[in-house]
Amino acid sequence: MRKISAGWRNLRFGATGKRLVAVIAIGLILAPVGAQAAGLGDILSLIKTITSTLQKAVGGVLSDIQTVNSEINKFRQELVWPLNEINQARAFVSATRARYTGLMSQIQSIKNNSANLANPRQLESALRGGQAGGMGQFQQVYAQVYAAVPQSNAAKPMQRDMMDIDDALAMDSLKTTIVSDQATQNLLSLADSLDQQSASAAPGSAPLLTAQARVTDLVTQAQLAKMLAAELRQEAAKLAHQNALLRQSASATRNLQNQMQQVLKHP
Amino acid sequence: MKLLANSWKFVRSALLLALACAVVVLILPSKARSQLGLDPCCAIISAGLESISGLLKDVVAKPLASIQQIEQQSADFERQVVWPVTAINQARGLALQAQGQFMQMRQLFQVPVSSATLPTPQQLEQSLLSRNPGSVAQISNNYSSLYGPAVAQTDAPQPVRDLVDMTDAAAQAAMKRAVEIDALADLELQAAEQINQQLQNATPGSAPILEAQTSAWLMRANAYTQSAMAELIRVRSIELANQGAQLKFSTSHAGTLHSTGGQVLQQGVQ
Repeated sequence: MRKISAGWRNLRFGATGKRLVAVIAIGLILAPVGAQAAGLGDILSLIKTITSTLQKAVGGVLSDIQTVNSEINKFRQELVWPLNEINQARAFVSATRARYTGLMSQIQSIKNNSANLANPRQLESALRGGQAGGMGQFQQVYAQVYAAVPQSNAAKPMQRDMMDIDDALAMDSLKTTIVSDQATQNLLSLADSLDQQSASAAPGSAPLLTAQARVTDLVTQAQLAKMLAAELRQEAAKLAHQNALLRQSASATRNLQNQMQQVLKHP
Repeated sequence: MKLLANSWKFVRSALLLALACAVVVLILPSKARSQLGLDPCCAIISAGLESISGLLKDVVAKPLASIQQIEQQSADFERQVVWPVTAINQARGLALQAQGQFMQMRQLFQVPVSSATLPTPQQLEQSLLSRNPGSVAQISNNYSSLYGPAVAQTDAPQPVRDLVDMTDAAAQAAMKRAVEIDALADLELQAAEQINQQLQNATPGSAPILEAQTSAWLMRANAYTQSAMAELIRVRSIELANQGAQLKFSTSHAGTLHSTGGQVLQQGVQ
Protein backbone atom coordinates (compact mmCIF):
# COMPACT_ATOMS: atom_id res chain seq x y z
CA MET A 1 0.00 0.00 0.00
CA ARG A 2 2.86 2.31 0.82
CA LYS A 3 4.56 1.42 -2.48
CA ILE A 4 1.38 2.24 -4.44
CA SER A 5 1.09 5.53 -2.59
CA ALA A 6 4.76 6.37 -3.29
CA GLY A 7 4.41 5.40 -6.97
CA TRP A 8 1.33 7.59 -7.29
CA ARG A 9 3.22 10.54 -5.82
CA ASN A 10 6.18 9.95 -8.19
CA LEU A 11 4.02 10.05 -11.37
CA ARG A 12 5.15 12.80 -13.71
CA PHE A 13 1.65 14.03 -14.45
CA GLY A 14 0.22 17.24 -13.19
CA ALA A 15 -2.66 17.27 -10.73
CA THR A 16 -5.15 17.38 -13.60
CA GLY A 17 -3.47 14.45 -15.30
CA LYS A 18 -3.56 12.44 -12.11
CA ARG A 19 -7.28 13.18 -11.66
CA LEU A 20 -7.90 12.11 -15.26
CA VAL A 21 -6.07 8.83 -14.74
CA ALA A 22 -8.01 8.24 -11.52
CA VAL A 23 -11.40 8.83 -13.16
CA ILE A 24 -10.57 6.49 -16.04
CA ALA A 25 -9.31 3.81 -13.64
CA ILE A 26 -12.44 4.02 -11.45
CA GLY A 27 -14.63 3.91 -14.52
CA LEU A 28 -12.89 0.86 -15.83
CA ILE A 29 -13.20 -0.86 -12.48
CA LEU A 30 -16.89 -0.09 -12.26
CA ALA A 31 -17.61 -1.07 -15.85
CA PRO A 32 -18.93 -4.68 -16.06
CA VAL A 33 -17.13 -7.03 -18.27
CA GLY A 34 -19.02 -7.84 -21.33
CA ALA A 35 -21.61 -10.53 -20.51
CA GLN A 36 -21.73 -13.40 -22.85
CA ALA A 37 -25.29 -14.42 -23.48
CA ALA A 38 -25.88 -18.02 -22.41
CA GLY A 39 -27.19 -20.21 -25.17
CA LEU A 40 -30.04 -22.74 -24.90
CA GLY A 41 -27.58 -25.63 -25.04
CA ASP A 42 -25.71 -24.28 -22.05
CA ILE A 43 -28.95 -23.92 -20.05
CA LEU A 44 -29.99 -27.47 -20.87
CA SER A 45 -26.56 -28.72 -19.89
CA LEU A 46 -26.83 -26.87 -16.58
CA ILE A 47 -30.28 -28.31 -15.87
CA LYS A 48 -28.99 -31.78 -16.66
CA THR A 49 -26.08 -31.31 -14.26
CA ILE A 50 -28.43 -30.12 -11.49
CA THR A 51 -30.79 -33.04 -12.11
CA SER A 52 -27.98 -35.52 -12.06
CA THR A 53 -26.55 -34.03 -8.85
CA LEU A 54 -29.95 -34.17 -7.18
CA GLN A 55 -30.56 -37.75 -8.24
CA LYS A 56 -27.16 -39.23 -7.52
CA ALA A 57 -25.21 -37.13 -5.07
CA VAL A 58 -28.02 -35.68 -2.92
CA GLY A 59 -30.67 -38.37 -3.37
CA GLY A 60 -28.24 -41.23 -2.92
CA VAL A 61 -26.75 -39.80 0.28
CA LEU A 62 -30.15 -38.99 1.73
CA SER A 63 -31.33 -42.49 0.95
CA ASP A 64 -28.24 -43.91 2.71
CA ILE A 65 -28.83 -41.64 5.74
CA GLN A 66 -32.44 -42.79 5.85
CA THR A 67 -31.35 -46.45 5.79
CA VAL A 68 -28.70 -45.95 8.48
CA ASN A 69 -31.08 -43.99 10.72
CA SER A 70 -33.72 -46.61 10.30
CA GLU A 71 -31.25 -49.39 11.16
CA ILE A 72 -29.93 -47.55 14.23
CA ASN A 73 -33.46 -46.96 15.42
CA LYS A 74 -34.34 -50.60 14.90
CA PHE A 75 -31.14 -51.69 16.63
CA ARG A 76 -31.92 -49.52 19.67
CA GLN A 77 -35.54 -50.52 19.93
CA GLU A 78 -35.15 -54.22 19.19
CA LEU A 79 -31.71 -55.10 20.52
CA VAL A 80 -30.42 -52.55 23.02
CA TRP A 81 -33.57 -51.39 24.77
CA PRO A 82 -36.42 -53.65 23.69
CA LEU A 83 -39.51 -52.53 25.56
CA ASN A 84 -40.59 -56.14 26.18
CA GLU A 85 -37.33 -57.00 27.88
CA ILE A 86 -37.43 -53.82 29.94
CA ASN A 87 -40.93 -54.61 31.12
CA GLN A 88 -39.94 -58.22 31.81
CA ALA A 89 -37.02 -57.03 33.94
CA ARG A 90 -39.35 -54.72 35.87
CA ALA A 91 -41.80 -57.54 36.37
CA PHE A 92 -38.96 -59.78 37.54
CA VAL A 93 -37.91 -57.17 40.12
CA SER A 94 -41.48 -56.90 41.38
CA ALA A 95 -41.87 -60.69 41.52
CA THR A 96 -38.57 -61.22 43.35
CA ARG A 97 -39.49 -58.45 45.74
CA ALA A 98 -42.88 -60.00 46.42
CA ARG A 99 -41.36 -63.44 46.85
CA TYR A 100 -38.43 -62.71 49.15
CA THR A 101 -38.82 -59.36 50.89
CA GLY A 102 -41.61 -60.38 53.22
CA LEU A 103 -39.95 -63.67 54.02
CA MET A 104 -36.63 -62.04 54.79
CA SER A 105 -38.33 -59.40 56.87
CA GLN A 106 -40.08 -62.11 58.89
CA ILE A 107 -36.79 -63.94 59.50
CA GLN A 108 -35.08 -60.70 60.51
CA SER A 109 -37.84 -59.83 62.96
CA ILE A 110 -37.74 -63.17 64.81
CA LYS A 111 -37.03 -62.48 68.47
CA ASN A 112 -34.02 -64.40 69.74
CA ASN A 113 -34.37 -63.40 73.39
CA SER A 114 -33.64 -66.44 75.53
CA ALA A 115 -33.00 -65.30 79.10
CA ASN A 116 -35.29 -66.64 81.84
CA LEU A 117 -34.53 -64.60 84.95
CA ALA A 118 -35.59 -61.01 85.53
CA ASN A 119 -32.21 -59.24 85.43
CA PRO A 120 -30.79 -61.11 82.41
CA ARG A 121 -34.12 -60.63 80.63
CA GLN A 122 -33.92 -56.91 81.20
CA LEU A 123 -30.34 -56.78 79.93
CA GLU A 124 -31.16 -58.94 76.95
CA SER A 125 -34.11 -56.79 76.11
CA ALA A 126 -31.91 -53.68 76.18
CA LEU A 127 -29.30 -55.45 74.05
CA ARG A 128 -31.68 -56.65 71.39
CA GLY A 129 -34.02 -53.69 71.36
CA GLY A 130 -32.07 -51.92 68.65
CA GLN A 131 -32.83 -48.53 70.17
CA ALA A 132 -29.79 -46.34 70.82
CA GLY A 133 -32.02 -43.89 72.70
CA GLY A 134 -32.35 -46.30 75.64
CA MET A 135 -28.62 -46.69 76.19
CA GLY A 136 -28.61 -44.32 79.17
CA GLN A 137 -29.87 -47.05 81.51
CA PHE A 138 -27.67 -49.72 80.01
CA GLN A 139 -24.86 -49.43 82.56
CA GLN A 140 -27.29 -49.97 85.44
CA VAL A 141 -28.93 -52.96 83.78
CA TYR A 142 -25.49 -54.43 83.02
CA ALA A 143 -24.36 -53.98 86.62
CA GLN A 144 -27.48 -55.81 87.84
CA VAL A 145 -26.26 -58.93 86.04
CA TYR A 146 -22.47 -58.63 86.12
CA ALA A 147 -22.15 -56.64 89.38
CA ALA A 148 -20.46 -53.31 89.85
CA VAL A 149 -16.74 -52.83 90.37
CA PRO A 150 -15.98 -53.55 94.07
CA GLN A 151 -15.25 -50.69 96.45
CA SER A 152 -11.64 -49.65 96.95
CA ASN A 153 -11.38 -51.53 100.23
CA ALA A 154 -12.62 -54.77 98.67
CA ALA A 155 -9.99 -55.24 95.93
CA LYS A 156 -6.53 -54.12 94.92
CA PRO A 157 -6.38 -50.99 92.73
CA MET A 158 -5.01 -52.91 89.75
CA GLN A 159 -7.70 -55.54 90.02
CA ARG A 160 -10.37 -52.85 90.22
CA ASP A 161 -8.91 -51.10 87.17
CA MET A 162 -8.89 -54.32 85.19
CA MET A 163 -12.44 -55.16 86.20
CA ASP A 164 -13.50 -51.66 85.22
CA ILE A 165 -11.82 -51.71 81.80
CA ASP A 166 -13.15 -55.21 81.07
CA ASP A 167 -16.65 -54.08 81.93
CA ALA A 168 -16.20 -50.84 80.02
CA LEU A 169 -15.01 -52.48 76.82
CA ALA A 170 -17.68 -55.17 77.05
CA MET A 171 -20.33 -52.48 77.49
CA ASP A 172 -18.84 -50.33 74.70
CA SER A 173 -19.08 -53.25 72.33
CA LEU A 174 -22.59 -54.14 73.47
CA LYS A 175 -23.69 -50.53 72.98
CA THR A 176 -22.06 -50.56 69.54
CA THR A 177 -24.15 -53.60 68.66
CA ILE A 178 -27.31 -51.71 69.68
CA VAL A 179 -26.29 -48.79 67.46
CA SER A 180 -25.44 -51.22 64.68
CA ASP A 181 -28.83 -52.93 64.96
CA GLN A 182 -30.60 -49.61 64.58
CA ALA A 183 -28.40 -48.69 61.61
CA THR A 184 -29.16 -52.10 60.10
CA GLN A 185 -32.86 -51.22 60.15
CA ASN A 186 -32.08 -47.99 58.27
CA LEU A 187 -29.99 -49.88 55.73
CA LEU A 188 -32.73 -52.46 55.20
CA SER A 189 -35.28 -49.71 54.72
CA LEU A 190 -33.00 -48.03 52.17
CA ALA A 191 -32.41 -51.34 50.38
CA ASP A 192 -36.17 -51.82 50.22
CA SER A 193 -36.64 -48.35 48.70
CA LEU A 194 -33.95 -49.13 46.12
CA ASP A 195 -35.63 -52.42 45.30
CA GLN A 196 -38.97 -50.66 44.94
CA GLN A 197 -37.48 -48.01 42.66
CA SER A 198 -35.81 -50.68 40.54
CA ALA A 199 -39.23 -52.10 39.74
CA SER A 200 -40.18 -48.89 37.94
CA ALA A 201 -36.73 -47.85 36.75
CA ALA A 202 -35.81 -47.13 33.16
CA PRO A 203 -32.52 -47.99 31.46
CA GLY A 204 -31.60 -44.33 31.89
CA SER A 205 -32.41 -44.10 35.59
CA ALA A 206 -30.86 -47.46 36.51
CA PRO A 207 -27.28 -46.06 36.62
CA LEU A 208 -28.45 -43.54 39.23
CA LEU A 209 -29.91 -46.35 41.33
CA THR A 210 -26.78 -48.44 40.88
CA ALA A 211 -24.64 -45.54 42.04
CA GLN A 212 -26.97 -45.10 45.01
CA ALA A 213 -26.59 -48.77 45.89
CA ARG A 214 -22.81 -48.48 45.70
CA VAL A 215 -22.82 -45.45 48.01
CA THR A 216 -25.00 -47.35 50.47
CA ASP A 217 -22.60 -50.27 50.18
CA LEU A 218 -19.78 -47.92 51.15
CA VAL A 219 -21.74 -46.81 54.21
CA THR A 220 -22.31 -50.46 55.14
CA GLN A 221 -18.60 -51.17 54.80
CA ALA A 222 -17.77 -48.22 57.03
CA GLN A 223 -20.19 -49.45 59.68
CA LEU A 224 -18.79 -52.96 59.38
CA ALA A 225 -15.33 -51.49 59.95
CA LYS A 226 -16.61 -49.81 63.10
CA MET A 227 -17.93 -53.14 64.34
CA LEU A 228 -14.58 -54.74 63.58
CA ALA A 229 -12.84 -51.96 65.49
CA ALA A 230 -15.05 -52.73 68.49
CA GLU A 231 -14.19 -56.41 68.22
CA LEU A 232 -10.50 -55.55 67.96
CA ARG A 233 -10.69 -53.44 71.12
CA GLN A 234 -12.45 -56.26 72.90
CA GLU A 235 -10.00 -58.95 71.80
CA ALA A 236 -7.05 -56.72 72.62
CA ALA A 237 -8.44 -56.07 76.10
CA LYS A 238 -8.96 -59.81 76.58
CA LEU A 239 -5.33 -60.46 75.62
CA ALA A 240 -4.13 -57.62 77.83
CA HIS A 241 -6.13 -59.03 80.73
CA GLN A 242 -4.61 -62.51 80.30
CA ASN A 243 -1.19 -60.98 80.02
CA ALA A 244 -1.66 -58.93 83.17
CA LEU A 245 -2.63 -62.11 85.00
CA LEU A 246 0.46 -63.85 83.66
CA ARG A 247 2.58 -60.93 84.80
CA GLN A 248 1.01 -61.06 88.27
CA SER A 249 1.46 -64.81 88.34
CA ALA A 250 5.15 -64.52 87.39
CA SER A 251 5.65 -61.91 90.06
CA ALA A 252 3.80 -64.02 92.64
CA THR A 253 5.86 -67.11 91.71
CA ARG A 254 9.08 -65.12 92.10
CA ASN A 255 7.91 -63.88 95.53
CA LEU A 256 6.96 -67.39 96.58
CA GLN A 257 10.34 -68.69 95.41
CA ASN A 258 12.16 -66.02 97.42
CA GLN A 259 10.08 -66.70 100.51
CA MET A 260 10.63 -70.46 100.24
CA GLN A 261 14.36 -69.96 99.92
CA GLN A 262 14.29 -67.82 103.04
CA VAL A 263 12.26 -70.48 104.88
CA LEU A 264 14.69 -73.21 103.79
CA LYS A 265 17.66 -71.13 104.88
CA HIS A 266 16.21 -70.78 108.42
CA PRO A 267 14.69 -74.19 109.36
CA MET B 1 -2.25 38.08 -16.16
CA LYS B 2 -1.79 35.59 -13.39
CA LEU B 3 -5.57 35.50 -12.88
CA LEU B 4 -6.04 34.79 -16.58
CA ALA B 5 -3.54 31.95 -16.45
CA ASN B 6 -5.26 30.43 -13.44
CA SER B 7 -8.66 30.69 -15.07
CA TRP B 8 -7.35 28.96 -18.20
CA LYS B 9 -5.84 26.22 -16.08
CA PHE B 10 -9.19 25.68 -14.31
CA VAL B 11 -11.16 25.60 -17.56
CA ARG B 12 -8.65 23.13 -19.04
CA SER B 13 -8.97 20.80 -16.06
CA ALA B 14 -12.77 20.91 -16.21
CA LEU B 15 -12.74 20.10 -19.91
CA LEU B 16 -10.38 17.17 -19.42
CA LEU B 17 -12.57 15.81 -16.59
CA ALA B 18 -15.68 16.07 -18.72
CA LEU B 19 -13.90 14.29 -21.56
CA ALA B 20 -12.81 11.50 -19.26
CA CYS B 21 -16.37 11.03 -17.95
CA ALA B 22 -17.64 10.85 -21.50
CA VAL B 23 -15.09 8.15 -22.38
CA VAL B 24 -16.08 6.10 -19.32
CA VAL B 25 -19.79 6.39 -20.12
CA LEU B 26 -19.08 5.30 -23.67
CA ILE B 27 -17.13 2.28 -22.48
CA LEU B 28 -19.95 1.10 -20.15
CA PRO B 29 -22.22 -1.43 -21.88
CA SER B 30 -25.69 -0.42 -22.92
CA LYS B 31 -28.70 -2.14 -21.21
CA ALA B 32 -28.81 -5.96 -21.60
CA ARG B 33 -31.56 -7.72 -23.30
CA SER B 34 -33.67 -9.89 -20.98
CA GLN B 35 -32.86 -13.57 -21.40
CA LEU B 36 -36.21 -14.76 -19.97
CA GLY B 37 -38.53 -12.99 -22.21
CA LEU B 38 -41.09 -14.61 -24.41
CA ASP B 39 -38.45 -16.59 -26.17
CA PRO B 40 -39.09 -19.93 -27.90
CA CYS B 41 -36.66 -21.65 -25.51
CA CYS B 42 -38.71 -20.80 -22.39
CA ALA B 43 -40.85 -23.93 -22.68
CA ILE B 44 -37.77 -26.14 -22.56
CA ILE B 45 -36.38 -24.21 -19.62
CA SER B 46 -39.71 -24.43 -17.84
CA ALA B 47 -39.78 -28.20 -18.36
CA GLY B 48 -36.26 -28.45 -17.01
CA LEU B 49 -37.14 -26.44 -13.93
CA GLU B 50 -40.25 -28.54 -13.35
CA SER B 51 -38.07 -31.62 -13.57
CA ILE B 52 -35.73 -30.16 -10.93
CA SER B 53 -38.69 -29.26 -8.75
CA GLY B 54 -40.06 -32.80 -9.05
CA LEU B 55 -36.69 -34.23 -8.18
CA LEU B 56 -36.40 -31.98 -5.15
CA LYS B 57 -39.78 -33.25 -3.98
CA ASP B 58 -39.14 -36.94 -4.63
CA VAL B 59 -35.45 -37.38 -4.10
CA VAL B 60 -34.79 -34.77 -1.41
CA ALA B 61 -37.98 -33.83 0.41
CA LYS B 62 -39.39 -37.35 0.82
CA PRO B 63 -36.25 -38.94 2.33
CA LEU B 64 -35.81 -35.86 4.51
CA ALA B 65 -39.36 -36.22 5.79
CA SER B 66 -38.75 -39.88 6.41
CA ILE B 67 -35.49 -39.12 8.25
CA GLN B 68 -37.30 -36.52 10.30
CA GLN B 69 -39.97 -39.08 11.18
CA ILE B 70 -37.39 -41.68 12.20
CA GLU B 71 -35.50 -39.11 14.26
CA GLN B 72 -38.71 -38.01 15.95
CA GLN B 73 -39.66 -41.60 16.69
CA SER B 74 -36.18 -42.28 18.03
CA ALA B 75 -36.28 -39.16 20.20
CA ASP B 76 -39.73 -40.09 21.53
CA PHE B 77 -38.53 -43.61 22.30
CA GLU B 78 -35.48 -42.33 24.16
CA ARG B 79 -37.52 -39.76 26.08
CA GLN B 80 -40.31 -42.14 27.01
CA VAL B 81 -38.57 -45.50 27.37
CA VAL B 82 -34.84 -45.07 27.80
CA TRP B 83 -34.47 -41.83 29.77
CA PRO B 84 -37.87 -40.84 31.10
CA VAL B 85 -37.55 -37.69 33.20
CA THR B 86 -39.98 -39.03 35.81
CA ALA B 87 -37.86 -42.11 36.51
CA ILE B 88 -34.68 -40.02 36.62
CA ASN B 89 -36.25 -37.59 39.09
CA GLN B 90 -37.51 -40.47 41.21
CA ALA B 91 -33.99 -41.89 41.39
CA ARG B 92 -32.68 -38.45 42.41
CA GLY B 93 -35.42 -38.29 45.04
CA LEU B 94 -34.18 -41.58 46.46
CA ALA B 95 -30.70 -40.05 46.79
CA LEU B 96 -32.27 -37.22 48.80
CA GLN B 97 -34.06 -39.71 51.03
CA ALA B 98 -30.85 -41.70 51.47
CA GLN B 99 -28.99 -38.55 52.50
CA GLY B 100 -31.23 -38.20 55.53
CA GLN B 101 -30.73 -41.83 56.48
CA PHE B 102 -26.96 -41.63 56.06
CA MET B 103 -26.84 -38.60 58.32
CA GLN B 104 -28.97 -40.40 60.89
CA MET B 105 -26.68 -43.46 60.80
CA ARG B 106 -23.57 -41.30 61.12
CA GLN B 107 -25.05 -39.61 64.18
CA LEU B 108 -25.97 -43.01 65.60
CA PHE B 109 -22.37 -44.16 65.44
CA GLN B 110 -21.32 -40.97 67.17
CA VAL B 111 -23.50 -41.68 70.22
CA PRO B 112 -21.08 -41.87 73.19
CA VAL B 113 -20.64 -45.45 74.39
CA SER B 114 -17.90 -44.89 76.99
CA SER B 115 -18.60 -46.77 80.23
CA ALA B 116 -15.48 -46.86 82.43
CA THR B 117 -15.89 -45.48 85.96
CA LEU B 118 -12.35 -45.35 87.40
CA PRO B 119 -9.77 -42.74 86.30
CA THR B 120 -7.11 -45.04 84.79
CA PRO B 121 -9.55 -47.16 82.77
CA GLN B 122 -11.34 -43.96 81.74
CA GLN B 123 -8.11 -42.58 80.26
CA LEU B 124 -7.47 -45.71 78.22
CA GLU B 125 -11.08 -45.94 77.13
CA GLN B 126 -11.09 -42.29 76.08
CA SER B 127 -8.09 -42.90 73.81
CA LEU B 128 -9.58 -46.11 72.45
CA LEU B 129 -12.93 -44.52 71.55
CA SER B 130 -11.49 -41.21 70.36
CA ARG B 131 -11.67 -42.05 66.62
CA ASN B 132 -8.66 -39.75 66.47
CA PRO B 133 -5.38 -41.13 65.03
CA GLY B 134 -3.58 -38.35 66.92
CA SER B 135 -4.35 -40.09 70.21
CA VAL B 136 -2.70 -43.36 69.13
CA ALA B 137 0.57 -42.19 70.69
CA GLN B 138 -1.07 -41.99 74.15
CA ILE B 139 -2.35 -45.56 74.07
CA SER B 140 0.94 -47.19 75.14
CA ASN B 141 1.18 -44.98 78.25
CA ASN B 142 -2.48 -45.46 79.15
CA TYR B 143 -2.12 -49.19 78.60
CA SER B 144 0.93 -49.46 80.86
CA SER B 145 -0.78 -47.41 83.55
CA LEU B 146 -3.63 -49.89 83.60
CA TYR B 147 -2.10 -53.30 82.87
CA GLY B 148 1.32 -52.63 84.36
CA PRO B 149 4.74 -51.89 82.87
CA ALA B 150 7.11 -54.38 81.24
CA VAL B 151 8.25 -57.15 83.60
CA ALA B 152 11.56 -56.33 85.28
CA GLN B 153 14.51 -58.65 84.72
CA THR B 154 14.45 -59.73 88.38
CA ASP B 155 10.74 -60.46 88.42
CA ALA B 156 10.49 -63.26 85.87
CA PRO B 157 12.63 -65.58 83.75
CA GLN B 158 13.53 -64.35 80.25
CA PRO B 159 11.07 -66.63 78.34
CA VAL B 160 8.19 -65.29 80.45
CA ARG B 161 9.33 -61.69 79.97
CA ASP B 162 9.46 -62.26 76.19
CA LEU B 163 5.99 -63.75 76.22
CA VAL B 164 4.54 -60.89 78.25
CA ASP B 165 6.21 -58.28 76.07
CA MET B 166 5.01 -59.89 72.83
CA THR B 167 1.47 -60.17 74.16
CA ASP B 168 1.45 -56.55 75.33
CA ALA B 169 2.72 -55.49 71.91
CA ALA B 170 -0.02 -57.40 70.10
CA ALA B 171 -2.74 -56.04 72.41
CA GLN B 172 -1.52 -52.44 72.08
CA ALA B 173 -1.17 -52.70 68.30
CA ALA B 174 -4.72 -54.01 68.06
CA MET B 175 -6.01 -51.15 70.18
CA LYS B 176 -4.15 -48.63 68.00
CA ARG B 177 -5.47 -50.27 64.84
CA ALA B 178 -9.00 -50.07 66.26
CA VAL B 179 -8.65 -46.28 66.66
CA GLU B 180 -7.32 -45.99 63.10
CA ILE B 181 -10.10 -48.16 61.68
CA ASP B 182 -12.68 -46.01 63.47
CA ALA B 183 -11.14 -42.85 61.99
CA LEU B 184 -11.03 -44.38 58.50
CA ALA B 185 -14.65 -45.48 58.81
CA ASP B 186 -15.62 -41.89 59.73
CA LEU B 187 -13.89 -40.63 56.58
CA GLU B 188 -15.65 -43.27 54.50
CA LEU B 189 -19.00 -42.17 55.90
CA GLN B 190 -18.19 -38.54 55.10
CA ALA B 191 -17.17 -39.47 51.56
CA ALA B 192 -20.34 -41.51 51.11
CA GLU B 193 -22.46 -38.52 52.12
CA GLN B 194 -20.59 -36.23 49.75
CA ILE B 195 -20.94 -38.63 46.83
CA ASN B 196 -24.60 -39.02 47.67
CA GLN B 197 -25.03 -35.25 47.57
CA GLN B 198 -23.56 -35.26 44.06
CA LEU B 199 -25.92 -38.06 43.15
CA GLN B 200 -28.92 -35.88 43.95
CA ASN B 201 -28.10 -33.73 40.90
CA ALA B 202 -26.52 -36.43 38.77
CA THR B 203 -27.69 -37.40 35.31
CA PRO B 204 -27.75 -40.83 33.67
CA GLY B 205 -24.51 -39.79 31.97
CA SER B 206 -22.70 -38.64 35.10
CA ALA B 207 -23.99 -41.34 37.47
CA PRO B 208 -21.58 -44.02 36.16
CA ILE B 209 -18.69 -41.67 36.96
CA LEU B 210 -19.91 -41.36 40.55
CA GLU B 211 -20.44 -45.10 40.62
CA ALA B 212 -16.86 -45.65 39.51
CA GLN B 213 -15.64 -43.32 42.25
CA THR B 214 -17.75 -45.11 44.84
CA SER B 215 -16.39 -48.44 43.63
CA ALA B 216 -12.88 -47.13 44.22
CA TRP B 217 -13.89 -46.06 47.73
CA LEU B 218 -15.43 -49.47 48.31
CA MET B 219 -12.23 -51.19 47.27
CA ARG B 220 -10.37 -48.97 49.73
CA ALA B 221 -12.91 -49.75 52.46
CA ASN B 222 -12.55 -53.46 51.78
CA ALA B 223 -8.79 -53.14 52.02
CA TYR B 224 -9.07 -51.42 55.42
CA THR B 225 -11.53 -54.06 56.61
CA GLN B 226 -9.08 -56.69 55.48
CA SER B 227 -6.30 -55.02 57.48
CA ALA B 228 -8.59 -54.98 60.54
CA MET B 229 -9.30 -58.67 60.01
CA ALA B 230 -5.56 -59.33 59.81
CA GLU B 231 -5.08 -57.50 63.12
CA LEU B 232 -7.85 -59.54 64.70
CA ILE B 233 -6.27 -62.76 63.49
CA ARG B 234 -2.92 -61.63 64.91
CA VAL B 235 -4.48 -61.01 68.33
CA ARG B 236 -6.17 -64.40 68.34
CA SER B 237 -2.99 -66.11 67.11
CA ILE B 238 -0.98 -64.54 69.91
CA GLU B 239 -3.63 -65.72 72.37
CA LEU B 240 -3.31 -69.26 71.01
CA ALA B 241 0.47 -69.04 71.07
CA ASN B 242 0.30 -67.93 74.71
CA GLN B 243 -1.77 -70.95 75.65
CA GLY B 244 0.78 -73.19 73.93
CA ALA B 245 3.67 -71.44 75.63
CA GLN B 246 2.06 -71.74 79.05
CA LEU B 247 1.58 -75.46 78.49
CA LYS B 248 5.25 -75.71 77.56
CA PHE B 249 6.28 -73.75 80.66
CA SER B 250 4.10 -75.99 82.84
CA THR B 251 5.71 -79.11 81.37
CA SER B 252 9.14 -77.67 81.97
CA HIS B 253 8.25 -76.63 85.52
CA ALA B 254 6.80 -80.09 86.22
CA GLY B 255 10.04 -81.67 84.97
CA THR B 256 12.15 -79.38 87.14
CA LEU B 257 9.93 -80.02 90.15
CA HIS B 258 10.12 -83.76 89.54
CA SER B 259 13.92 -83.84 89.42
CA THR B 260 14.29 -81.43 92.37
CA GLY B 261 11.82 -83.47 94.42
CA GLY B 262 13.74 -86.63 93.51
CA GLN B 263 17.00 -85.08 94.65
CA VAL B 264 15.46 -83.90 97.93
CA LEU B 265 14.01 -87.36 98.62
CA GLN B 266 17.32 -89.04 97.79
CA GLN B 267 19.15 -86.71 100.24
CA GLY B 268 16.53 -87.55 102.89
CA VAL B 269 17.08 -91.34 102.40
CA GLN B 270 20.86 -90.98 102.67
